[in-house]
Amino acid sequence: MRGGSVGPGQCPRYDLLMASHADLHALLNPRAVAVIGASSRSGQVGGVVLARLLEGGRPVYPVHPDESEVCGIRTVPSVDALPDGVDLAVIAVGAARAVEAAEACARLGIAHLLVIAAGFAETGAAGRALQERLAALPGRHPTRILGPNTLGLHVPHTRLSTLFVEHAPELLARGGGVAFVTQSGSVGVEAVGLAANIGFGLRAFVGLGNKCDLDEVDFLEHFAADPGTTCLAFHLENLDCGRRFLEAAATASRRKAVVVLKAGRTPAGAAAASLHTGRLAGSDRVVDGAFRQFGILRAADDEALCDAARTLAALPLPRGPRVGIITPAGGYGVMAADQVETPPERGAARLALASLAGATRERIRAATPPFASADNPVDLTAVADDAMFAAALDALLDDDAVDIVLCGAFFAAHGVTDGLVDVLAEHVRGARKPILAFTLYGPKTERYLRRLHEAGVVGFPSVARVVRAARVLVQRAGLLDAPGGAR
Amino acid sequence: MSGSIAAWLVGLATPDRPDELETKQLLAAAGIAVPRGLRLAPGDDPAAVPLVGPLVVKLCDPDVPHKTDLDAVRLGVAPAELPAAVTALRARFPGKALLVEEHIQAVELELIVGGLVDPAFGPAVMLGRGGILSELVPDVTFRLAPCSEAEALGMLEELAVAPLFRGYRGQRLDGPALAHIVRTVGDLVLALGDRFDQLDVNPLAFAADRWIALDAALRLRLSA
Repeated sequence: MRGGSVGPGQCPRYDLLMASHADLHALLNPRAVAVIGASSRSGQVGGVVLARLLEGGRPVYPVHPDESEVCGIRTVPSVDALPDGVDLAVIAVGAARAVEAAEACARLGIAHLLVIAAGFAETGAAGRALQERLAALPGRHPTRILGPNTLGLHVPHTRLSTLFVEHAPELLARGGGVAFVTQSGSVGVEAVGLAANIGFGLRAFVGLGNKCDLDEVDFLEHFAADPGTTCLAFHLENLDCGRRFLEAAATASRRKAVVVLKAGRTPAGAAAASLHTGRLAGSDRVVDGAFRQFGILRAADDEALCDAARTLAALPLPRGPRVGIITPAGGYGVMAADQVETPPERGAARLALASLAGATRERIRAATPPFASADNPVDLTAVADDAMFAAALDALLDDDAVDIVLCGAFFAAHGVTDGLVDVLAEHVRGARKPILAFTLYGPKTERYLRRLHEAGVVGFPSVARVVRAARVLVQRAGLLDAPGGAR
Repeated sequence: MSGSIAAWLVGLATPDRPDELETKQLLAAAGIAVPRGLRLAPGDDPAAVPLVGPLVVKLCDPDVPHKTDLDAVRLGVAPAELPAAVTALRARFPGKALLVEEHIQAVELELIVGGLVDPAFGPAVMLGRGGILSELVPDVTFRLAPCSEAEALGMLEELAVAPLFRGYRGQRLDGPALAHIVRTVGDLVLALGDRFDQLDVNPLAFAADRWIALDAALRLRLSA
């Protein structure tokens, strides 16, 4: 567990946060940025952060008492000498010096501080004392703090990045709708980096770190109100503000999907002396129930979190659970049908295999060879070509008995060309039903999934993942329909 | 905290430690059915018990929530056999009070409705299947308090026993009435405020077209 321990459902800074919602616009799109801790010595975090910030094209001021230039940029000798217009100071020095720098920045009235260093409350009493000094600043100055112990931010649309570890900036540069907020920077960077291999539309990446000031609720409220965000994804280890987070999530989830990976179990109380019910306090089942009650979708792991987020951010919600399947490979169609009909875990959405209307089957039959299957799962067979896919997609999209279409886009068949990407993209653009693709093409799989992503098609490299994504869509639709579901 | 709950707290025989009868009196005041019953103090004469029909006799001690584990429950005791049953239990638990209640013939399914304080989220309610298998094959689900009846019906749908509420094999258990009880328990948890720790209504049984709390245990936190 990170940060300090807090009592049930209480938030350490409740009064202050209630008094004023954090305005995070300047944090995510600062006019100018100061960097404390960048020097000419190579391999330093501060130097890497400075280089990243310079890529954004906005003014960046390295603060250095001795060196007049760092990375070819003129330095400022001290925090007090910074010009006006600095909305964010990134502090990349060790914990003790970071606190002093943060105090100087707060006195100057810099609106946002990002403290990268570790060595705070996660390390013991001395670190906790340092963190308390940081946490005291926002109450005394017009300053908000992200961190400490954080990788910071990566915001493609404002070209702001402080990520000093290797990630996938070029794959994420196109941006997108997912606001990804993570307590653990490394989990976040690895998860999003891996997701970017098959295409991930990122609105913003936020590493919360120790949450001495800004926390998950501040970012939840910000991105819920941000028009460019279509889905909110969280990786959280402790919910200091448990009930307050749930209430804010319930409000947000009326308009946007909120997906949470809650890792780490709260230690249960004195189990031996407890009643049946009391023994389950702090158990994962309580988290499950609370999430459902407050309209939050729960993800089991980092892959499920990213898959759910990219799906929910991009696709319309289905009107029901009935799935139509198209493949050029009958074996995959059968597997997909099996997984669609597998009963879900407790609380997850049930899917059903759609029974196609007679007219639908006629249309598919007319467009496909005699040995193809016009029943669900539709099997175009290995002679499939782009036009057959188009005809089958049209037929399923027009069928009122189909709520969701899963399409196995297999490029290995001779008649299938790269034009299938465009066929899928055109159908996705016009459809009010969600269309999900799955692609397997050996070592070319990820490249094709990225092309699909760039064309606006949500695709996955396995049957299990595409069916799980369909379940998430049905679950989300169910939350919006449930009486009192999203409170 | 409402006046009636404050009065109930003040009236406890042992401060902060309600026994089963006191817990059931609190439930009854909140509208949850409980068997008719009375407490026999160590010197009380069992012959004076005014209940008819088969009876239940059990240890009534706030320190022993799991009475069955101690073989401290006698079921289906005829009124004529009551003095002997009381004598036997008193011999094993000297100086302890006993609870005598009507024996309720209920359907086989036993449920647990509970209240708890989760360390992350605060006051919460639980609904699940009770009985001896419930810990081996857990079938329980949670919501935070307050929990509306619509939310409680959603809990019911998540249980493996949900078909019993839809006529499975002729069973027609009353889902809306159960949802009302879950809501009531959530409200009770909140009404007890920072005095509340844990509540088990276990088992909650279905008999004569209504839900009835056959056993209940409540843990309070010490008053400041």
